[in-house]
Amino acid sequence: MLDFTLVQKYIPFLIKASWVTLEISILSILIGLILGLVIVLMKISSIKPLSLFADFYIWVLRGTPMLVQLFLVYFGLPQLGIELSPFLASLIALGMNAGAYMAEIFRGGIQSIPKGQMEAALSLGMDYPTIMRRIILPQAFRVSIPGIGNESITLLKDSSLASLVTVSELMMTSQRFASSNYAFIEFYITAAIFYLIMTTLLTFVLRRIESKLAVAD
Amino acid sequence: MIQNPIITMENVHKSYGDLEVLKGIDLQVYPGEVISLIGSSGSGKSTLLRCLNHLEKISKGTIIIDGIHLDESSRHINQIRREVGMVFQQFNLFPHMTVLQNVMEAPIRVLKRDRSDVKKQALTLLKKVGLQDKAEVYPKKLSGGQQQRVAIARALAMNPKIMLFDEPTSALDPELVNEVLLVMKELVAEGMTMLVVTHEMSFARDASDRVIYMSNGIIEETGSPDEIFHHPKSQKLKNFLVSIK
Repeated sequence: MLDFTLVQKYIPFLIKASWVTLEISILSILIGLILGLVIVLMKISSIKPLSLFADFYIWVLRGTPMLVQLFLVYFGLPQLGIELSPFLASLIALGMNAGAYMAEIFRGGIQSIPKGQMEAALSLGMDYPTIMRRIILPQAFRVSIPGIGNESITLLKDSSLASLVTVSELMMTSQRFASSNYAFIEFYITAAIFYLIMTTLLTFVLRRIESKLAVAD
Repeated sequence: MIQNPIITMENVHKSYGDLEVLKGIDLQVYPGEVISLIGSSGSGKSTLLRCLNHLEKISKGTIIIDGIHLDESSRHINQIRREVGMVFQQFNLFPHMTVLQNVMEAPIRVLKRDRSDVKKQALTLLKKVGLQDKAEVYPKKLSGGQQQRVAIARALAMNPKIMLFDEPTSALDPELVNEVLLVMKELVAEGMTMLVVTHEMSFARDASDRVIYMSNGIIEETGSPDEIFHHPKSQKLKNFLVSIK
């Protein structure tokens, strides 16, 4: 029989594990945003090697499973003498993967800005870096927010992959309690609820940011 | 005129692939002159204007503005762009900035001028175009005519020596055309050097010193408003004048 009261005394541990999940997710979202910005600027740059590198980066990171990427970072790099903690390896893998998706989201945003914006800024004598920073990117970022939101939610869920390289986040912790108590349904449903709460909170925060930025429109 | 021209175009060509849009333009513009460019769409008049601040790169020929050679040097290009203001058909205001920020942006970022000085000037300019009470408003809240007046103020904030107008009233509802033309006429009265691509024949007739009629990428005929509108020489211009009646 199902016995959810069993879960009760483990709740503090699950909450603690959720913090680890949130930490990985938020940090890799931030890494993804910064990396995505760098990659998209390379991609739209007129310097051919940069844009080719960006194409290559996006092609590989989007075209291969995140789990393979994570295992390469965590299990592969030590072979080359680079030892990373499970947490750091997860951050790097998730962040680099998110960077590829964020770059594509930003590219869509930048392309949606009418050509006249660039022309008006050029006609005022502004140079390319200033135009990007002051005119194009602020507008493109707003357009990109729904996409960034989707990617963030995906990332939060995908952070469960970190359990496979022994990070004690929510999934890993639930798994441990589930098998030691032989109560898989109870613990995995609880884990699902915890994830749902976190993605709901994240959606809420993103909506707030979106509506705050939309004031100007 | 005894002055030196502020704009000189010599044998300017512009092609997009096989399509030649400008087929050898020679033009001299003198300080304080107001020139209207008329002609049917596709005649190359907008392209001519956009070549003057290097929004379009010319394929052949020479452009010299205020003594600066418009070549590939980005220093020269930016120097010229600081001296040449442009107003677009679609206004192209920056939607994420207030009206005041729109006007202040370039003087601060490009000329590195002091913020409070720029603000003072920006407010004076907004007053001049009749929009001082809209300073803190975002462009979306403004009518097309108001947006275009802000765009004029934004260009003027760089203290340009030349103003280019690319069909400034074509995207406006008819009842909003006049408020923009009034601001432009005020600039004419102040002695601004202006090149105006327009379908507003009343402006071309009443406000300009010289009218240029373009057809098929060349300057077909040029003269005073009276010569162009009342004594056209070429058959093409005669046909054009009939077609727009």
